[in-house]
Amino acid sequence: MGLPSGSVPFVSVRGLGKTYLMGARRLDVLRDLSLDIQAGELVALTGPSGSGKSTFLHVLGTLDAPSAGQVLYDGRDVFAMGEEALATFRNQTIGFVFQSHHLLPEFTALENAMMPALIRRMPRAQALARAEEVLGLVGLTDRMGHRPGELSGGEQQRVALARALCLKPRLLLADEPTGNLDPRTAEGIHALLLDLNARLGISAVVVTHNERLAEALPRRLRLASGRLEDAR
Amino acid sequence: MSLDPVPTPAPEAAPPGDGPAAPSPPPPAVPSDHPVAPVFSVPAFLLVLAGLVLAAAGAPLLQAALAGRLGLPTGVATGLAAGGAALLGAAFGAAAALAARRLAFYEVTAAALLWIATSVARLLLLPAGGHGQAAEGLESQGALVAVLGVMGSGALAAVAVFVGASLAYLAAGGGRIDPSLSFELYVARSHLKLSPRLLLGLFLLCVTGVVPGLLLMLVRSLLADAAERRAERRGLLHQRRRMPATMLMTLISIGGVAIGVCALTVVLAVMSGFEGDLQRRILGQNAHGMVMKTGPKDFTDWRETRERVRLVPGVLGATPFLYNQVMLAAGQSMELMDGAVLKGIDPATIGTVTELPEIIEAGRLSWLDSPEAIPVPAARDADTPPASGTLPGIVVGRELAHSLRVFVGDQVNLVSPQGDIGPAGPQPKSRPFRVAAIFYSGFFEYDSKLAYLDLAEAQRYFGTGDTVTGLEVKVVDPDAARATMKRIQVELGGYPFRTKDWGELNRNLFAALQLEKLAMAVILGFIVLVASFLVVATLIMLVLEKVREIAVLKSMGAGVPSIMRIFVAEGLIIGVIGTFLGLVLGVESCLLIEKVGVQMDPEVYYISSLPVRLEAGQVALAALMSLVLAYLATIYPATQAARLRPVDGLRSE
Repeated sequence: MGLPSGSVPFVSVRGLGKTYLMGARRLDVLRDLSLDIQAGELVALTGPSGSGKSTFLHVLGTLDAPSAGQVLYDGRDVFAMGEEALATFRNQTIGFVFQSHHLLPEFTALENAMMPALIRRMPRAQALARAEEVLGLVGLTDRMGHRPGELSGGEQQRVALARALCLKPRLLLADEPTGNLDPRTAEGIHALLLDLNARLGISAVVVTHNERLAEALPRRLRLASGRLEDAR
Repeated sequence: MSLDPVPTPAPEAAPPGDGPAAPSPPPPAVPSDHPVAPVFSVPAFLLVLAGLVLAAAGAPLLQAALAGRLGLPTGVATGLAAGGAALLGAAFGAAAALAARRLAFYEVTAAALLWIATSVARLLLLPAGGHGQAAEGLESQGALVAVLGVMGSGALAAVAVFVGASLAYLAAGGGRIDPSLSFELYVARSHLKLSPRLLLGLFLLCVTGVVPGLLLMLVRSLLADAAERRAERRGLLHQRRRMPATMLMTLISIGGVAIGVCALTVVLAVMSGFEGDLQRRILGQNAHGMVMKTGPKDFTDWRETRERVRLVPGVLGATPFLYNQVMLAAGQSMELMDGAVLKGIDPATIGTVTELPEIIEAGRLSWLDSPEAIPVPAARDADTPPASGTLPGIVVGRELAHSLRVFVGDQVNLVSPQGDIGPAGPQPKSRPFRVAAIFYSGFFEYDSKLAYLDLAEAQRYFGTGDTVTGLEVKVVDPDAARATMKRIQVELGGYPFRTKDWGELNRNLFAALQLEKLAMAVILGFIVLVASFLVVATLIMLVLEKVREIAVLKSMGAGVPSIMRIFVAEGLIIGVIGTFLGLVLGVESCLLIEKVGVQMDPEVYYISSLPVRLEAGQVALAALMSLVLAYLATIYPATQAARLRPVDGLRSE
């Protein structure tokens, strides 16, 4: 599985394995996964519940370390970095959208969206401008002062998307972003995802159960019993 | 330096983010053996140990140098030395933390244990006197105090080093120096939910003396309860707005810190008040120093000596005295008798040295010189025969006069065991005197045991000839009395002259007072310590509540020091607000005590009202202690928060 010289893929997963030790029992969640994602590529990841989709996404997003194998970004092994360097890397490269949005309840939509910029130590005014911009992208300009509790499910998910996009990450990782939404709202989020990809050119890996979304994305992968297979 | 007691790093404590170790990954996969940061760093340990030793051993040396060479006042020198040593230790701690890229907690603990163990062993095993000047003072108060002192100084030095290390890690643990707190404070403020209105309310509560505010809150709570019940009865939905648990905990911790700081401030002020009062009284009644003559020769050349002493710079006055113990009996009868210390004084010059002339409350001091002027009262009972001729005068204290039941003009008999030789062998010498004046110093010990005679009269009574016990000296600056008395000794040519200052004369009293103050400070420090445990509990609750939020922040790229800073900031906000409110309350209480006064039984406490003296240094020390404890309290919850793996927080769905 040698790399074609000259063109290093944006993300390259090599022989990835993730094993949990539960007492004496070994649980192999991911086994020898390999995958290349090119810049600007949109990937749908499907699979039955418990097949390790979230774990894979976490490892891909450097939130969890693999038990075996490597994750290379631009040919660089990210897990060889120290913890702090990894945090900085995450801040600069990756945007997460979680299934249950995980917005910070005490902050308004605007404040939630600017949080990654604040973590990067961007000046407040600049961070604010960024957040306003991305909230505009997801169509929430008129809801910026509201807290998550005052927003609908779809709006919350859109704020989460705005937050993930705040620093213009190169890779968007979304874990069932429409899992909790009604079909119409989900449709809106899907359209937004595709639109953002087209406009900003960011790569994305979207874990989804939604067949329509999976069909709509150019590349579709299926994770079953710890192994990855092309579903198309 | 042996490194034997250093525990070997435990391999199972892998740093967060590394995930479960894979002992034998599936064969086809490449093992991901990325380097794991060590749990124990030897260079950091050595740095920390060096800082610890420098701080613990350097403080006394620095203090001696500042006080001795530069001649700074003791208090200032001690403060500067402690501060300097703490900064030095903190600098080494910071270097260790930066070198190891860790909090260096295990290193500091190991170094502190090693240092304390070796110093205690050295103290116990080496013969006394071999430990330098600093230890000597401690050793004079017993082995237990010495050991506790060494352990305490070691612990303090360790705290300084650890504060330095943790601050450095928090500021630069991310790989670059990043002192900005804007994001962390932003998040911390949202956790604590302390609105400006609430803070203003707390401040007003403290300023108005807590009680009215508490009553108001009680009434409000009562009314709200009543309303709630009524609504329940009528089946109306009436949800009372309740405070979130973490906010309640935050307020309780603020209150705890405030109470601790308040108690510490008030008690230290009262102790200082006692000390100051005692010092003032002792200095008022006694001279600042004493010149005595040792050796076989009597102090007969006291007139010339007095002149020479008065010429020494820094001396305000000098007066001779003769000192002896006698019995005093009222009238002729021997029924009312009391022991007393008799001091022969020179009424003309005593005023230049002590405050005796000012504290005369009946009669006149000058009547010692001219006893014929003392008004003789009409005989109150027939038993007392009128004294023949003019009797010499005597000045007694109020309590003594009280117990002898005498007033100005009454006759007292002075009985000395060093009597004349009578026909039947030695017999006590008894001579009548007339009470010329009664003084009141407010110091029970003096008022009940001291009597003054004219010096010549005393010399005649004791048959000593023209000698004195010594000279009492008043100096310009009582705090520099020791130096001035030393200079007098040098001016007089040393032996046979000997000088003592008031601190030396009352050494036991002030040493006891100092020890008592230290003990009180330590005991009350425990209140602040308990309050800091409240901070720990509150922060742990906050961390548990925010597991998910921490995970999200980490997924967005917040690093370990950044997450730690959020919770450190929260604890410090609690600490700062609590300390400030405690200081407000404490200073307020002190002013109240001073203004209103707390009556006390002078027979027991020698003073009639509770004295308070607020010292800026002490108040600052109480505040510093509270803040340092609050800061230390944040470290554990903050590391717990920072160690949370993002996956754990995200999975809890």
